[in-house]
Amino acid sequence: MAVIEYFRLAIRSLNSNKMRTALTMLGIIIGVAVTILVVAIGQGATKSVTDQINGLGTNLLMIRQGPREMRLTAASRNAPAQSQNTLTLLDSRTIAKQFPESILGVAPQVRGNVQVRLNGANATSTVLGSTPEYLVVNNFTMRAGRFFTNYEDQGNLKVCVVGNTVAENLTGKGETDLTGQILSVNKSNYTVIGMLAPKGTGTGGPDPDDVVMMPITPAMQRVLGVKNISGISIACTSPEMMPLAQQQITSLLRQRHHLHPPFPQNDDFQVMNQTDLLARSQSVTGTMTSLLTAVAIISLIVGGIGIMNIMLVSVTERTREVGIRKAIGATPRDILMQFLIEASIISVLGGIIGVVCGVLGTILLASIAGWSTMVSPTALGIALVVSASVGIFFGIYPARKAASMNPIQALRYE
Amino acid sequence: MDRSSDLLLCIRDVYKIYVMGGQEVRALDGVSLDVHVGEFVAVMGPSGSGKSTLMNLIGCLDVPDSGSYLIDGAEVSTLDEYELARIRNKKIGFVFQGFNLIARTTALENVELPLMYGRQKNRTERATAALTRVGLGDRLDHKSSELSGGQQQRVAIARAIVSQPRLILADEPTGNISTLQSEEIMQIFQELNEDGVTIVMVTHEEDIARHCKRRVEMRDGQVVSDQPIENRLLAKDVLLELKKPRESKVSVLLPGA
Repeated sequence: MAVIEYFRLAIRSLNSNKMRTALTMLGIIIGVAVTILVVAIGQGATKSVTDQINGLGTNLLMIRQGPREMRLTAASRNAPAQSQNTLTLLDSRTIAKQFPESILGVAPQVRGNVQVRLNGANATSTVLGSTPEYLVVNNFTMRAGRFFTNYEDQGNLKVCVVGNTVAENLTGKGETDLTGQILSVNKSNYTVIGMLAPKGTGTGGPDPDDVVMMPITPAMQRVLGVKNISGISIACTSPEMMPLAQQQITSLLRQRHHLHPPFPQNDDFQVMNQTDLLARSQSVTGTMTSLLTAVAIISLIVGGIGIMNIMLVSVTERTREVGIRKAIGATPRDILMQFLIEASIISVLGGIIGVVCGVLGTILLASIAGWSTMVSPTALGIALVVSASVGIFFGIYPARKAASMNPIQALRYE
Repeated sequence: MDRSSDLLLCIRDVYKIYVMGGQEVRALDGVSLDVHVGEFVAVMGPSGSGKSTLMNLIGCLDVPDSGSYLIDGAEVSTLDEYELARIRNKKIGFVFQGFNLIARTTALENVELPLMYGRQKNRTERATAALTRVGLGDRLDHKSSELSGGQQQRVAIARAIVSQPRLILADEPTGNISTLQSEEIMQIFQELNEDGVTIVMVTHEEDIARHCKRRVEMRDGQVVSDQPIENRLLAKDVLLELKKPRESKVSVLLPGA
């Protein structure tokens, strides 16, 4: 029998059981749609993190405390205070002074969570202490007022610069200009001298606009009460200078911290460039993507089992029909193909609808939740191929069962 | 008279033994039977006599445990499933008691099926011709649920004859339909037989058997009697009688009247 005939048979049979066909298909639709969605979110997250890191500038070096083996995770990014508090403000100042030919700017940083109040409105935020170089090093700009100066840092003055999210949390509107107002940070009053231009958030990650910036001295002494800094951002004079700068900083810090070989095992800090950061973020999003993909695959398998279940029911229900077909000359292969193509149509059609739903869902998610997503044609292709194979794999057992039926018993089946 | 050349079925010493509930059932206990081209055989017998097993064997739905069965000169007992399917498709047409049409499918599509499995051409024309022959030329697109029992059985006959098989196997073909429709079915069978189609029919109705030419009776897996039918009924005449006023109907049905 020609293949087209098997298709005609299968379509007629699926058509006569529309509800059942639709529900069975739903399993595959959900599986495929979830796969597409998850991969799109995963790839979108990777891309947005990559973009963020690329946005830092190619000249940027980051120094963090802790040994090299420590992995950057989503949790530890927000909580840099690790067991080893080794970086000091003096480290940062020494670096800034020693290598003028390779280093353009040095921005030490401390972070901590604080309670902020404005005219009776309460909010939690992150305080970020640094030096005036921070603006240049991290590509920040102001939208109102001014950034703080070295004079205010050295004078331990109570001034701050805030981001839009803080303004929104306190006044209800992100666009509010708080310049000139008195902001209470952990029950102590600070004058707002400027507003940071919004950076916007990517997927996941902390909100870069939910920040109260102030000179590092008052941030360490008055607000957070810490002696160590959590990290240093360094802008190099040119990309070519980066290896040199990285080397200079490393040996300087090893000397200052009185570290002994072997290195880098004994280092209590890490100097990372953009490439390192990219590799780290990719390992994080990679783990996330494979986890979500596992979930997607499981849902596809569940959909496949649904197909097998329904096909088994269908084969049993149509035992007599199988008997009739065999009596009038259908070979086992004819019967096998009829049921197998039925299962394949369910899964392939489900796969196509799933792809459409997944893409629509991705677009919807991107526009409503504002997540950055990326639909890759490879993912679409893989989803289709996998769904088709799921149908064939789970359809083969019921189809073989039908094909191997004894025609006499099948004809007698009530 | 040498009739070996037109020997269609040749069954020799065939055994078929089932084990049911630990007990041995000798469904066919040394059956031998020859059927020549053009015969019209009624197989009769009480239930459990082995006639269904014999029909399954003749229809190549089953193979004997021992003995030999030749259809059209081909030995069946050694064939595999695919070859059996081919013989069923090309050489045999089945008509069942329960019609056994495919549900939710039109008469035409049902009749086209054997042609489809036989990879034949001009299916629609041939199926239409077969349906016209059984008097359903105007019901091509009716689904089986829209047809009466007699009409459904005629679709089944059309399906059986569409691939022009040499043998038609009918299993209680009039079991589920009215007397008038039964006669119409028997008329079609008799016409087909006139045209040279060999027919083997299982029935337990004496009146239906009398339309055939030869009567084989089975009991306990063996053939106990095999003789030609005398005073054969012609469905054409019976139908004429049936359509007359009621009183005169009896005279035709009673033998020797």
